[in-house]
Amino acid sequence: MASSDETNADGNSQACLAGLPAFVAEIDRLCADAKAVIAAARNEVDLEKARIEFLGARSGRLKGITRLLSGLSASERPVGGKHFNDAKETITAVFNEAKDRMAVAAAQEGGSSAGAAIDITLPGKQLRLGHLHPITQTIRRVQEIMSRLGFESVDGPEVEDQWHNFEALAIGPEHPARDPLDNFYLTVAQGVEPLLLRSQTSTVQIRVMENREAPLRIVSLGRVYRPDTADATHYPMFHQVEGLLIEKGSTMAHLKSVLRFFAASFLGGDVRVRFRPSFFPFTEPSVEVDMEWGGRWIEMGGAGMVDPAVLKAVGYDPHEVSGFAFGLGVERIAARRYGVADIRDFYRNDVRFLEQF
Amino acid sequence: MIISTNWLADYVQLQAPTDLLVERLLMSGLNHESTRLVGSDTAIEIEVTSNRPDCLGHIGVAREAAVLFARPLHFPDPQPLQQGGDVASSVAVEILAADLCPFYSARVIRGVRVGPSPAWLIERLQTVGIVSINNIVDITNYVMLECGQPLHVFDLGTIRGGGLIVRRAVAGESFTAINHKTYVLSDQICVIADAQRPLALAGVMGGADSEITANTVDIVIESAQFAPLAVRAAARGLILASASSYRFERGPDPAAVDWASRRVAAMVLASAGGTLDRGVCTAGTLASHPATIELRFGRVAEVLGIDVAAPRQQEILLSLGFVEQWSSPEASQWQAPTWRRDVSREIDLVEEIARIEGYDKVPEDTPIAARPVELSRHEKTIRRASEVLVSAGFCEAMTRSVVNEAMETTQSPWNHAGSTDQARATKSFAETGPLSVSPALVRGADRLRRTLLPSLLEARAGNMSVGAPHGDLFEIARAYLPGSTPHTPIEEPLLLSLVTEGDFSVAKGLAEAVLAGLGLPSEADRCRGANRITFRRLFLDLFAPGQAAEIVLHAVDCEPERIGVVGIIASGIAGRFGLASAVGAMELRLDRLEFAVGVERSLHRPSEFPAIQRDINLVVDATVPWGNIAEAIRSGAGDLLEECRLLQIWQDAERLGKDKKSVVVSLRLRSTVGTLSSDEANRMVDAIVVACGRQVHATLRSA
Repeated sequence: MASSDETNADGNSQACLAGLPAFVAEIDRLCADAKAVIAAARNEVDLEKARIEFLGARSGRLKGITRLLSGLSASERPVGGKHFNDAKETITAVFNEAKDRMAVAAAQEGGSSAGAAIDITLPGKQLRLGHLHPITQTIRRVQEIMSRLGFESVDGPEVEDQWHNFEALAIGPEHPARDPLDNFYLTVAQGVEPLLLRSQTSTVQIRVMENREAPLRIVSLGRVYRPDTADATHYPMFHQVEGLLIEKGSTMAHLKSVLRFFAASFLGGDVRVRFRPSFFPFTEPSVEVDMEWGGRWIEMGGAGMVDPAVLKAVGYDPHEVSGFAFGLGVERIAARRYGVADIRDFYRNDVRFLEQF
Repeated sequence: MIISTNWLADYVQLQAPTDLLVERLLMSGLNHESTRLVGSDTAIEIEVTSNRPDCLGHIGVAREAAVLFARPLHFPDPQPLQQGGDVASSVAVEILAADLCPFYSARVIRGVRVGPSPAWLIERLQTVGIVSINNIVDITNYVMLECGQPLHVFDLGTIRGGGLIVRRAVAGESFTAINHKTYVLSDQICVIADAQRPLALAGVMGGADSEITANTVDIVIESAQFAPLAVRAAARGLILASASSYRFERGPDPAAVDWASRRVAAMVLASAGGTLDRGVCTAGTLASHPATIELRFGRVAEVLGIDVAAPRQQEILLSLGFVEQWSSPEASQWQAPTWRRDVSREIDLVEEIARIEGYDKVPEDTPIAARPVELSRHEKTIRRASEVLVSAGFCEAMTRSVVNEAMETTQSPWNHAGSTDQARATKSFAETGPLSVSPALVRGADRLRRTLLPSLLEARAGNMSVGAPHGDLFEIARAYLPGSTPHTPIEEPLLLSLVTEGDFSVAKGLAEAVLAGLGLPSEADRCRGANRITFRRLFLDLFAPGQAAEIVLHAVDCEPERIGVVGIIASGIAGRFGLASAVGAMELRLDRLEFAVGVERSLHRPSEFPAIQRDINLVVDATVPWGNIAEAIRSGAGDLLEECRLLQIWQDAERLGKDKKSVVVSLRLRSTVGTLSSDEANRMVDAIVVACGRQVHATLRSA
């Protein structure tokens, strides 16, 4: 389709305008006729007659005029073509409007053509929506908030060795946490170093620190395993999200500020956080983190400054860098967020449960 | 640990309401569990972290409270009268296992009257949840709950040979505890024995043979140090944890060993009478090594992010019982109190200052510098794949990583080659059994799974049985396989699995959609791109014969590799899970596909010229697979073929001939450099028909 009048107003088209005015006049007349006839149509039969008269594919008047178009000179033809197309569009639009008007009238009258009206109370064609598991949704939300603070999500193996699950985390051979009854050790041939299903995702933090230089901001996440009897608040398999920041000059003030940012983003509003002294082998000082939720202090997880022994174990110089770590139990915050009273429900995989999230 | 507020008042007068005490203890490290009124007393249950055994006694908690409320602390210094003979003539003590018991002490009181405890003692024990037994036993419990040092009392009359021997148990030796249960001991366990038999499990529980009875006249008071590991081995190994073992596992105050012994003696003399032998019988050396620690005052601000003035730091440490050895304007040196063996490094002192100064002083609006971050390929892959399946109406499941034997008998696609209709399998697999763990995750489930599919079949069956709206589930999780090299003892492929209705084309379509979502369009609509995906027939126990395929990745410069399987689950296996109707399933190795999301996308500008659509109807032998026909069409078409879409396959012996089928294909032709003419399109269709005739013996059926 020609684009605009200007592009055609070049020098050699000026001389040949004699045929064009006649053509344009003819088009305009046709347009006027069509509008009048269509406006006069009283019913769908009249309207169809009008359509055939003007827009008919074989012998409509518009079709007839294309012969005149081919009679124009090559330089006139683009301008003529544009007039022709505009006219066709105008007539088609007028026709469609008239048709719609008649359909509305017919539907409102409930007359013979009322079949055109659809029973809009019939159900729509069902598009079944899938759902991410609420645990995944909770993890994604944590990841998303932490990524705004520059924390990168990482994962690592679930079957771990003693070094990554215990020793590098300052959990010595005599520590009760290493008891066979408190871990899922793999039953493997003797002489092979004992392996176990990781009991915390801090293992991933160790692996990242071993392989990368500070500064570092990561969130490790995934499944962890501890031999708890399954009940409403325990399950032997659960999920952890743990944050780690290693940077020169980082302090507990940074830790508290990051957690407050997290709490305010996760829970919404101006949320306060509170630290209570606690004990973990791999952080010193160690704290429990409470967040104010609905007027109550809720335990969200543990945190602390990375113990110098851990920094040393992964080859960092504790005099050069410091850092903090924190951990959240995903099931616990998901259960609270969604009002799930029994965390075993997360693992029943009942579609009627999953579809609610 | 349960604290009686009346009892606490013996050592420190707080003059503060219980709630305030609870609050301050909570904020300085003793978490609050509950508060209960018991008669005129109040019981506060606190949670004591494993590094603070000093707070497993009332005196320890009183020390904390005295610091928090700046009140003086008083506790007794018992000096019982020693009016009997020399203790050495009553009992001898020998340690034969110094690694399990560094120090042992015994005092002897003769002529006690065993009977009920005085009312005040019964009440105090009642507040902290201990049932009164008799005056002697109650006193040992009381003193343990006072100072944290567990004690034991033997009936001297039952000790044969006149001496106590601290030794390892002889493996297989049996012992009857005061709970009247008999235990078979291992040589990891430390016992207190006489010349003939074990009388007590060191630090865990006394024996029925030597316990205090109404007839007891002479008693031996034990106060000792036992190695935490030995006590734990006994308590865990015999499933016999006690208040005593709980404390010994954490290490009581060495200075309390003798204090507690004197305290018990004094209280027995006061309430049960008798005469205390002169002196104390000891063996071994008391292990007490309080640490000497240097503290740089500036370190506190470096760790906490708040300034605490040096004099305030010193004040806190002094109030907690640390002894200052020297100080300068920059630093000071401290000796830790005997009851704080958890404090041995500068960072530990910083924590002490922090918890007493209060973490509420740490600001929560300290900014951190912005840093760029991007999702890893691993994350992107997981997210992209789950997006596709959620859009397709699937719910994400989470099933256990550890399964029972019944669920592990099916072949895993990841360590069984199965057989294919190609000349060779894509990869040779080491067909090893599953790895197992101990203890079981849940009853009977001790095998690390090698495929997620059985777990999803179980979950689907569960949904079917409760009449859930559907059972279309997917899961993204790891499987566990024995590793192929010593450096990787275990391999953990990240799998995406799904179960759906039993229609192969549905399952395959989902596989193709996920792969396309990851940037790996499958053969049907692939025009360009270096990495190809193909499907090959696969026979594997898990799937119905002839109704499964392996999904093969042909990556640039790599051997073809199985990265997925798709098919209809064998009816026998589906039936085992109680699934009556057919189940389609798919499993992909997402870890092998992570590279795909990393491939840089660059625009292929869509052609602006019009397409020409042509449908052709080919008749071929019924056995010719579609894949061969599509290949023939593509080879004949050249690069003007934009899409080749299968519309319909039908068979009709009368109209087509026996063993023939009609394959209706829609072709979309388009050029990137100009408008295709009808003639060009016709020539192309002719070429396609010729190629199909030559390659799959197809004839054109006129419409």
